[in-house]
Amino acid sequence: MFSTELFSQLIVGLSRTTILFIVASGMSLILGVLRIPNVAHGSLYMLGAFISYTVVNFFGEGAYSFWLALIIAPIIVAFFGFLLERGFFSYLYDREHLMLLLLTFAFALIIGDLVKLIWGVEYKSLTTPEILQGSAEIYGLPLPYYNLFLLTVGPIIAIFLWLFINKTKFGKIARASAVDREMVSAVGINVSLVFAGTFVIGCFLAGLGGALIAPIVNISLGMDHSLIMEVFLIVIIGGLGNIWGTLLGSLIFGLTQSLGILIWPQFGIIFPYLAVVVVLIFRPKGLLESTW
Amino acid sequence: MKKIFLPFLFALLLVLPFFLPRFYIYLASIILLTGLLATSLNFVIGYGGIYQFHHAVFYGLGAYATALMITKANMPYILSFLSAPFVSAIVSLIIGMICIRLTKLYFGMLQISLGSLIWAIIYRWYTFTGGDDGIHGVSMPEMISNTKGAYYFTLIIVAISMFIIWRIVNSPFGKTLQAIRDNPMRSLSIGIDINMHKLIAIVIAGTFAGIAGMLFVVVDNSVFPDMMFWTYSLEILIMCLLGGLYTFWGPFAGATSIVLFRTFVGAYTKYWSLMLGIILTLVIIFLPEGVFGFIEKLWKNRDKNNA
Amino acid sequence: MKKHIFFTICFLFFMVLSNNVYSADVIKVGIVDTYSGPATTFTQDVLDGFTLALEEINTKGVLGKKIEFVTRDDKFKPDIALSMAKELVLKENVDILMGTINSASALAISDFCKKEKVPFFVTFAKSDKITGAKGHRYVFNMNENTEMAGRAAAKVLAKKPYTKYWIAGDDYEYGHAIANSVFNHLKQLNPKVQKVGESWWKVGETDFTPYITQILSAKPDFIIVATGGAGMVNFQKAAKSTGLNKKIPFYQHTGIELSTLMPQGQNAPEDVYGTANYLFYYPETKENKNFAETFKKKYNRHPKSGALYGYLTAHFIAKAFEKAGKVDREKFIDAMEGLKLKSPIGEVEVRKCDHQIMLPIFFGVTKKSPKYDFLIADKIVSVQAKDYMPTCEEVLKTRE
Repeated sequence: MFSTELFSQLIVGLSRTTILFIVASGMSLILGVLRIPNVAHGSLYMLGAFISYTVVNFFGEGAYSFWLALIIAPIIVAFFGFLLERGFFSYLYDREHLMLLLLTFAFALIIGDLVKLIWGVEYKSLTTPEILQGSAEIYGLPLPYYNLFLLTVGPIIAIFLWLFINKTKFGKIARASAVDREMVSAVGINVSLVFAGTFVIGCFLAGLGGALIAPIVNISLGMDHSLIMEVFLIVIIGGLGNIWGTLLGSLIFGLTQSLGILIWPQFGIIFPYLAVVVVLIFRPKGLLESTW
Repeated sequence: MKKIFLPFLFALLLVLPFFLPRFYIYLASIILLTGLLATSLNFVIGYGGIYQFHHAVFYGLGAYATALMITKANMPYILSFLSAPFVSAIVSLIIGMICIRLTKLYFGMLQISLGSLIWAIIYRWYTFTGGDDGIHGVSMPEMISNTKGAYYFTLIIVAISMFIIWRIVNSPFGKTLQAIRDNPMRSLSIGIDINMHKLIAIVIAGTFAGIAGMLFVVVDNSVFPDMMFWTYSLEILIMCLLGGLYTFWGPFAGATSIVLFRTFVGAYTKYWSLMLGIILTLVIIFLPEGVFGFIEKLWKNRDKNNA
Repeated sequence: MKKHIFFTICFLFFMVLSNNVYSADVIKVGIVDTYSGPATTFTQDVLDGFTLALEEINTKGVLGKKIEFVTRDDKFKPDIALSMAKELVLKENVDILMGTINSASALAISDFCKKEKVPFFVTFAKSDKITGAKGHRYVFNMNENTEMAGRAAAKVLAKKPYTKYWIAGDDYEYGHAIANSVFNHLKQLNPKVQKVGESWWKVGETDFTPYITQILSAKPDFIIVATGGAGMVNFQKAAKSTGLNKKIPFYQHTGIELSTLMPQGQNAPEDVYGTANYLFYYPETKENKNFAETFKKKYNRHPKSGALYGYLTAHFIAKAFEKAGKVDREKFIDAMEGLKLKSPIGEVEVRKCDHQIMLPIFFGVTKKSPKYDFLIADKIVSVQAKDYMPTCEEVLKTRE
């Protein structure tokens, strides 16, 4: 029946959207405020998934290990990002975008192989936590609880981020630094710390995305490559540094992909790219206001 | 000294097949065409200042055009070879026209999305393009179907292409392009049509990338969708960076290093991405002009001190 | 300018440096395979099985020489696989080439080996074109192909009462090949079966809910699920979480294999039908137990199918050279044709007409086991090669 398939695909599309959104919002922040196109973002996401795997195994298959991993993994990734930012990026902010982009690409390569070094090359697999196993039956059709969980997590994070960026002092300073860093610095604020903080938050989000998706995919090398292009495009069409824009972009991307596959299975994956091209032709700076 | 070096190098390259084992002749062909590819990117990024982020698309399209013409359309070889630059030129014109209104990063982004779209189509169109299996065993005319023949063919075409690019760079057009790169406002104010110049530059770069793609099919007899995947575009960019974005021969040297590195180091270690990443990091931090830009600067300083 | 001279010298230096002296007292095998990414879980087994066999072989040597090998990582990309193969043959001067898990890579390398007249042993790629439509004198397939797997599965499924079949799988060559092979032969053996629908998803798909929903609402009797290596675990996970395995029975080639079941531990779905080429716990013959225990002792894990393929390849190579009497590629190939070998799963033969290895295939159902912390296959039926393989005429016809 068409409508049940449609409904099912929509749910799937939306839960994919959640993960895309969480990771993309991290990238959007980094791109919007620090003006770094972070190609390593996908690698950080992958790192989050692998660390989550290790944490769960460390604490055993108990009910709490997943939730612990959900907190610990992003923190570790964020810390790692902190080291990267302090150690490398902070010295290179006045270089051209191209250089920064290539530097993040270099890190993507390094992190990718580090993961291989530490965890080996085999697939890793995590099971969904007990509470969320199984599915709800709606009209006789299964909707896995975990997908429903993801659907609730997404908007929560969106609201949280929006509050953070628009209502807290840090958020306002970060937005100001994105627009005019000299001015912010002239007013006596340590822009460098602002940048560090933003970068760390961005990395945290990437790690969180990885930890969230870990139970429902094969945790494997190559996760970084498959995600990074999608996240990049989402950030572009949403508007750099704009959280709602990223949400919108993720929705567009996730939904066009799911629906595309339903309508034209063979070429389904081109629909999101097509959507991106259309958006960029008419609104090259993105759908919503960007910080640039 | 510069005047006799190039002919010397060319002569060396001519006689290479007589004393190198077959594998190295094959490798040399790959280096030559990759060097052309890197130089074509440098033309538009280094000399033109245009953020061409997805150059690999034109390379891949040239290769696919040639391969498909030979295998699917059974076209005579000459036409198939010529189709490569033709297709790449047209596609770069179209993509260029769509993106030209945007500057810098946005240009790059739109190009990436267009390029990814093309990649996705080729990747999924299994029945026509072979999808992610690619096409292999593409037949070649007798004379160039062996390693040596393919090498000479490549050498001649690359030499001619590099010569043409050299002439363009040093022509009034080339100088105007660099002026636009350095100071667009000023160029506009003296009446230069910036967009037209940039568009022509993009088409030229795309054409030569397509030629490089065609050469790849000649040497390797195969095409794969990975040739136009975004990671390869970044790799070409790295070649330019390594060699020196603003020098003429830098990217060629960068391409040589990367190909050699990939072949020899990649064969012996699982972690060659790690090594590449580390080297790239070092180059970016310490030598932003690329290894060759750096050496050239040293050389210039030396001249200055001696003068 | 000086830099250019510097570079030319570097190039020549590299070339000289890497030109190793070819030592004539070893037999060199070059292995091109994927050692990065998810495929490695399979290919590492091939390599380990191969190495294990070499230890046994090299105690005596072959024609007075030891067998050595070098590996190259093709990163699951056909273009890298091809250039690695070229490097191994043209630069490293290997006697034999071996590899790879990616069918496209295998076919590309096979093409190249035909041109260069180098024997090539395919160890994990399953396209039937390898020994079928694109087969030739210089290629040997040391594992089952999609045609074989389909026929074996069809033989068992034909006896079951199901008639309404749904076909689903990864949308790429392997997926379609397996699905078609199973269903077409099933229909030949049991004309009552009908296909009530199909679904195809992209390779690497992780969310199967919409597809499962679609299938459930169509209410078929049975589902043929054609997922590739990466998709096996993902699909089984989805089946478990949606309860599909309890509602509609389904079959996957390699569904009962250790590589699919072990990562899921006790959470793998039960009652899944599958075929496998090797199970370390079946048959419980002396040879199999020996092999499994030796492998486990050396590598600290149970052997999976890949281990068998690697092990067999090494022993076949050794035996063929012995039979040929000298390290000559053409004589080696002649010796390989029709060669029989005693293996952990009984006697196996490399068929002369198409260079395809003839293996038994095991059909079973997943079930929890008190002995292991992963599921195993139950109600195992073993289908012998002579009972299901396509005939020489059928295979050679595809080559025209």
